[in-house]
Amino acid sequence: MKKMQLEICCGTTCYMLGANRLLNIENEMPSDLRGKTDVRALPCMGLCNEKELAGAPYVKLNGHVIENATAEKIYAKMRELLEA
Amino acid sequence: MYSQLFVEMESFQFTKTGQAACGDDIQIKVLKDENRYLAVLSDGLGSGVKAHVLANMTTTMALRYLQSNMDTLQSVETIMDSLPVCEVRKISYSTFSMIDLRLGGITRIVEMGNPPYIQLRGDREVPPLKHETIVSNHWPDRQVECYELKMEPGDRLIVCSDGVTQSGLGEGPQYRFGWRRSGEMAYAQEKIAANPEISSYALARSIAYQAYRISRNTCKDDISCMVIYMRKPRVMRLLTGPPFHKDHDNEFARRADLGEAHTIVCGGTTANILERVTGRKVEIDIAKLQLSDNLPPPGRLPEVAMVTEGILTLTRVYQALENNEPADKLPTAGRKIIEMMMQHDKIEFIVGTKVNEAHQDPSLPQDLELRRGIIRRISAALNQKFRKETEITFF
Repeated sequence: MKKMQLEICCGTTCYMLGANRLLNIENEMPSDLRGKTDVRALPCMGLCNEKELAGAPYVKLNGHVIENATAEKIYAKMRELLEA
Repeated sequence: MYSQLFVEMESFQFTKTGQAACGDDIQIKVLKDENRYLAVLSDGLGSGVKAHVLANMTTTMALRYLQSNMDTLQSVETIMDSLPVCEVRKISYSTFSMIDLRLGGITRIVEMGNPPYIQLRGDREVPPLKHETIVSNHWPDRQVECYELKMEPGDRLIVCSDGVTQSGLGEGPQYRFGWRRSGEMAYAQEKIAANPEISSYALARSIAYQAYRISRNTCKDDISCMVIYMRKPRVMRLLTGPPFHKDHDNEFARRADLGEAHTIVCGGTTANILERVTGRKVEIDIAKLQLSDNLPPPGRLPEVAMVTEGILTLTRVYQALENNEPADKLPTAGRKIIEMMMQHDKIEFIVGTKVNEAHQDPSLPQDLELRRGIIRRISAALNQKFRKETEITFF
């Protein structure tokens, strides 16, 4: 199966608001999700000034933006995409 | 021709084994407006704290007199008259070398009691244009050697304390009179022949270490070596921040053309602009990431040495420069920026001034400074503390 693409924004705002804790996510994933993603860091996605979005940190999973991203939110989205 | 040159002045010292302070002192001052580079190396009588005080008084006074163009003999006599008298030896004593290098002009060196300087053009010794010995009426037993010489691009001056030339004294027949100036010069010539671009710091360090090794890894005296190297400046460029007007993005990105070893990009949006203009992608290697870094991981972009995050990284760099923190204690991104700055003589900052509103959000856990301010402060620190030439261009 094709791996999901997980992109983590490492711009200043995202990094300060929690992206730093997501960079090691591949090693911390629950066993059912491990090995199913390619994790990449990006310099800045430029989403921090988008007023309609809820806030940093931002990650993208297969192009879907996850706002106020946490590991749990990422896992939930991964499961949702896996089921779909 | 001379206005484009950079004068690299660096030194390395070892303190006499068992002493808490180095009895030699070196002071350097650059008078940019006059194109003058002043340096004084002094060796105080004895060793330890007392010698350091004598040496430090000497360098401080000598530097002032050089700066104010005071007559040589008068300067030397005033220094000798002012030094406190040693209780043990009943003399006031320090030896010193004073250097007044003028870009494009005559360089003057005044020595009293110190080993004679060495001028090398490539690995060839260059004799002075003029040499005279003067004797003070106050101190008839002390001779002052005055030299005039011409420094050409690529020339080096090596000045040291007698801890270098007398190293190894008594260590077997080879060193019956110590390493001597001839041994020191042959060693420097060998180092330069092997590495013609060797930096002042590397050469000074290498000479001092050799003197230390010759003395069987102890210092019987304080060892100081200073190297002055006149050469074309090594220029690096740091691009940070998106330009205020978006139409300037292309022009801004074009400034990243100094070559891979000389260009750094700091800032996510800045990196995005370069990606867009050059059509290349930034790769961030998170596999090697250390979580204890506390700075976002650096990335790679072809033809650029490194891409880093902006404000947090630059703030950390500023703190390290200001507090003299060793670069190797810093997270990767900060360490590499400082290492590159130290390897270059001139640092050009290309600064986009657009403010990222998200950085002003009061809910951020840390205050973020404006880029302009932090770059100005980095520039001032490099300038004042590390004698780097800096230039800031705003976009």
